Amino acid sequence: MRLMPSCHDVQMELTEYLEGTLPLRRRLGIWLHLRLCRVCAGVLRGLRALPLLARQLLGPAEPVPDAALRALARMQQKQSD
Amino acid sequence: MTAASPSEQDLIQRSTTGDSDAFGALVQPHLGLFYNGVLRILGNEADAEDALQDALISIHRDLPRFEGRSRFSSWGYRICLNAALMVRRSRVRIRDMERPDPLPLGPFDDRGHHQESEHGTEWQVEAQAHLLVEQQEMRAVLLRALDELPDSHRIVFVLKDMEDWETEEIAEHLLVPAGTVRQRLHRARVQLQARLRTYILGGRP
Repeated sequence: MRLMPSCHDVQMELTEYLEGTLPLRRRLGIWLHLRLCRVCAGVLRGLRALPLLARQLLGPAEPVPDAALRALARMQQKQSD
Repeated sequence: MTAASPSEQDLIQRSTTGDSDAFGALVQPHLGLFYNGVLRILGNEADAEDALQDALISIHRDLPRFEGRSRFSSWGYRICLNAALMVRRSRVRIRDMERPDPLPLGPFDDRGHHQESEHGTEWQVEAQAHLLVEQQEMRAVLLRALDELPDSHRIVFVLKDMEDWETEEIAEHLLVPAGTVRQRLHRARVQLQARLRTYILGGRP
């Protein structure tokens, strides 16, 4: 296997790379590729940014949905039966 | 030192002695958080309502064991996520049995390298950097994209990237190997990244 993997291979393995579960030789190959390839480095930055972005977009407090209030009412009814 | 405020402590105390109103007052401020966490895992409102009800029963039952080492909301939220996972296990999802779509990567040439050079791929990670109207659009796109993911992929993304669970912990809850969790997580991330791409790439979309 070549030391430096292709863009396709790198992008298929970025989560494993981030989690540190790849064999050392593979990690080194991807590390090197990311220093030479702006596109793959951009994809990596995107994967890293996604959790924070998702938390920011979906995180803010929302009004309590009716379904949640119904679940509470049903639960309290059950408890009192 | 406990993290719960005195009034919350008081509500907890009264709830454990069977005061139903106190329990309602205790959980009410967190219902939106609890419900949305469950909904993100299950993906539909009917299942989410059932799971939340199960979770509230568990929270009420386990309150005497709550030691106040974490915030009540965090403790209760985790119980809700577990209840959602339990409900999910009892459901058979047709969408999960379908062959996964090819990942939206590339295009690549015969050697697996990019066919064309892309520039300006700087992610704007701060949602605040976007105009409010853009944020609302992005939120809608993200919710739709999450909804379109296979359940097994969405759950992994929610637990790992939004709730900060460890990969091994997710694997244990879903009864799959950790490698499968990472594989699903990667597919989910790539799909979501592709859907949000035009919003979060700075410079030229």
